[in-house]
Amino acid sequence: MLKFFLFFLLCAITSIAFGQTRFFTKTGNISFYSTTKVEDIEAHNRSVTCVLDTKTGNIQFSVLMKGFEFRKALMQEHFNENYVESDKYPKAEFKGQVVNNGNIDYARQGTYPVKVKGLLTIHGETREVEADGTITVSNGKVNTTSEFKVAIADYKISVPTLVSDKISKIITIKVACALEPLK
Amino acid sequence: MPKLKLFRAGLMLAQKTISTMLRKKNVLIALMMVMAAGAIYAYKEFNRTNTNIARESSAFTINATELIKEFTNNDSLASSKYVGKIISVQGLIKDIIKDERGYYTVTLGDTLGTSSIRCSIDSIYSGTAVSVKPGANVKVKGSCTGYNRDELLGLDIILNRCLIAGQN
Repeated sequence: MLKFFLFFLLCAITSIAFGQTRFFTKTGNISFYSTTKVEDIEAHNRSVTCVLDTKTGNIQFSVLMKGFEFRKALMQEHFNENYVESDKYPKAEFKGQVVNNGNIDYARQGTYPVKVKGLLTIHGETREVEADGTITVSNGKVNTTSEFKVAIADYKISVPTLVSDKISKIITIKVACALEPLK
Repeated sequence: MPKLKLFRAGLMLAQKTISTMLRKKNVLIALMMVMAAGAIYAYKEFNRTNTNIARESSAFTINATELIKEFTNNDSLASSKYVGKIISVQGLIKDIIKDERGYYTVTLGDTLGTSSIRCSIDSIYSGTAVSVKPGANVKVKGSCTGYNRDELLGLDIILNRCLIAGQN
């Protein structure tokens, strides 16, 4: 009886100690920037969900489009109603892999340059995307950052010709998520 | 007599011409005023920033557990009802998170459940979140941006541009 209990305890402790392979956040940051001669537009989302499995390198992001905040209300309305049609497509998602995950020692503090590859879905359109980023391990947390560009036409986001000079065809996306162990 | 008639005719013609000219001028002025009003409206509309949530009225005032129940039972119906609207939610604080940039997120809901209402506190209202503690019964007002349902992470109803409107 005691042996069984001790064995069980050992298993439980082992799984807790080595079970911290998943890290997540629900307060991640994603911003996007459009720069043209006429106007600079930027929007920020602070409620991004991100889950990273450090054992497999599997990484996923989920973003609610209505959560992007713009400085000008009209721009936010046009973004939601006309460009990304957020009533029809409420979320943008990324499901992918940290390509060089094997090179990262998540138990040791450090900053690692990474390549992330996966499927990005915006406005109901899915495209394969590859991006460079950084994973920083510090104080039990995993910080993921990345900056990459997307062509809005790839996601069937159409901008009316009247304002086409105000919105860049290539948008820069910046990701910054501080992940904590998932218990 | 004919001279008088001629004179009166001439006077009437002059009157008509002047009044037509004045009318045209009035029309012109009116037109310019409409255009100016239109331009001012367009300028204001273009530069309109997101309204201060405190000044807007909520479309719905609801209890946290009720809101979670509505989304749990039928998320698409609840979405069409609440998403994009400003709502006031009354409930117990589950947790208060402050991120690296100093922004607060307050979660409402039952501590035992995997469902929460996540409220991103607007940076201008950070002060309202500083003094509250988990377990407090508060009223949060914000804009509902949607929900996330995940077997791993549970059900989250997301609000942004929030402020803590009151504490019981």
